Amino acid sequence: MVRDKPKTQWFLVWQMVRVSLTVQFKKSFLGLTWLFLAPIFAIIVWVVLHGAGVITPGETSIPYPAYVLISMSIWGFFADAYFNMSNVLSNNARILLTTSCPVQVLIIERVIVQLIRFSIPMVFNIIVLLVFGVDLHLLGVLFPLVIIPLLVFGIAIGLVVSLFRIVAIDLAKIMDQAIHFLMFLTPIIYAPKLDIPWIGSIVKYNPLTYLIGVPRDVLTIGGSDQWSGFFWCSLISGLFLGLSYFIFSQNEKKTLERLINN
Amino acid sequence: MSLTAKEFADPSVLLEVQNLNKKFCQDIRHNMLYGIGDIGRSVVGYKADYARLRAKEFWALKNINFQLREGEILGVVGANGSGKTSLMRLVGNIYPVESGTIYARPGIKVTSVFALHSGMQQLYTGRENVFLKGALYGMSREQIQEKLDFIINFSELGDRIDNPLGNYSSGMRARLAYAIALATDPDIFLLDEALAVGDSVFKTKCFENLKSWVKMPGRGVLFVSNNVRKILKVANRTLVMEKGEIIHDSTDISEALQFYIINCLKDLDEASRQRKLQKVMDYDF
Repeated sequence: MVRDKPKTQWFLVWQMVRVSLTVQFKKSFLGLTWLFLAPIFAIIVWVVLHGAGVITPGETSIPYPAYVLISMSIWGFFADAYFNMSNVLSNNARILLTTSCPVQVLIIERVIVQLIRFSIPMVFNIIVLLVFGVDLHLLGVLFPLVIIPLLVFGIAIGLVVSLFRIVAIDLAKIMDQAIHFLMFLTPIIYAPKLDIPWIGSIVKYNPLTYLIGVPRDVLTIGGSDQWSGFFWCSLISGLFLGLSYFIFSQNEKKTLERLINN
Repeated sequence: MSLTAKEFADPSVLLEVQNLNKKFCQDIRHNMLYGIGDIGRSVVGYKADYARLRAKEFWALKNINFQLREGEILGVVGANGSGKTSLMRLVGNIYPVESGTIYARPGIKVTSVFALHSGMQQLYTGRENVFLKGALYGMSREQIQEKLDFIINFSELGDRIDNPLGNYSSGMRARLAYAIALATDPDIFLLDEALAVGDSVFKTKCFENLKSWVKMPGRGVLFVSNNVRKILKVANRTLVMEKGEIIHDSTDISEALQFYIINCLKDLDEASRQRKLQKVMDYDF
């Protein structure tokens, strides 16, 4: 069918978002409450670990459990962007091979679902932190803006890897592992300023240091000393997304037809 | 978009396929390697010669040419692997057209039904699935609202439209899905084994509906099936495919189907062929 109106595209996006958000909870009594339970478990784990003195991080600007909680949420946002996009073809192969659903609709749907899934627990986290007496800065209202480059970076990598997931599975698996490993090379569970020189160098040249660090700093202290790195990494992320989408759109259909058993 | 808009000299033509080719790879690892290579080539802007087969590749479709005209239910038959579904996926804009052209009357609406239930959710009610599947077909909320009564009536679901789809029988699911496809009100219907499910009464209703629907101006159907009896009942022209090529095109459906069956049995000796042919004729005609 000809989709000549953006209105019909958005209606399809809305339908797909609705399915993604509700179908897994159709049989659940707790339903969407699960979106709030996950961060509660995360808080408990980190408070317990901190209380037990298991982790000895560097100096952080806010209490360590709060630092980790926010950092992990932002990291999760990046990881979700990557994993959602890198599976956009393989997870939706049947729909893409048997209906005229444009892949762009699925990309937008993934982004919207991710934003919803991130923002609900994030707001919840912030409330919990305020209740526990952690001071967050008023300029933290800019947080939704400064987190966009991180989303862009995750989508950019994910779109290219989504092609690999069909024709170069080894590469896609290596990328998945690399993303997991990258968490330990990014100041998530430790402070950005480290005493170990070689890790310090890696952290310095890791774009996620800035793309995650600045949103966290804006939320917690209302500013950052990493703006320059953030600016360049954001610019590169934007350009990377342009290139990545070009490669994806040129190859999406040709790659999809290489799926076996569909 | 796989369809190229064209004003045809013959106003009865809805769709024209010209010199269409499609190749696939029969080996998984080669398939993956070529996929990586193709991505690499697209990055540097180099376009490979599509006419050349690489190792382990084969032609799934070779030099396909035909027209679909108003009022036609064009049945496409062929043994498994003859290229029927690949052809439908190219016309339905699922696969990219890399060699050849598919022309269509400007502004034409095509509804492709490859898997009736694809995209539908078992845990959603029939009504919720109407909106979901309708949206997948490119319909707006208003268009679906407008057609909702038609869908419920045609599918004969009544109050059960508000039951979860998972509780439906396969026939009920097929009725609902087919009714939604019909409600899209296309100019060209692509049906790939779409009516293989459902009870006989409903199938008869679908076929009758299809036959009367196609008589309206500007309508045509491309109908893929391996079921000879179905093609015989519903088609008014038949293409026979073998190994990616059209080997027969006829408006005499019975003759075309006999040709198809005899061709399927061509490797047998004469006596065995006659025996098998008689069995198929007794069973399917």
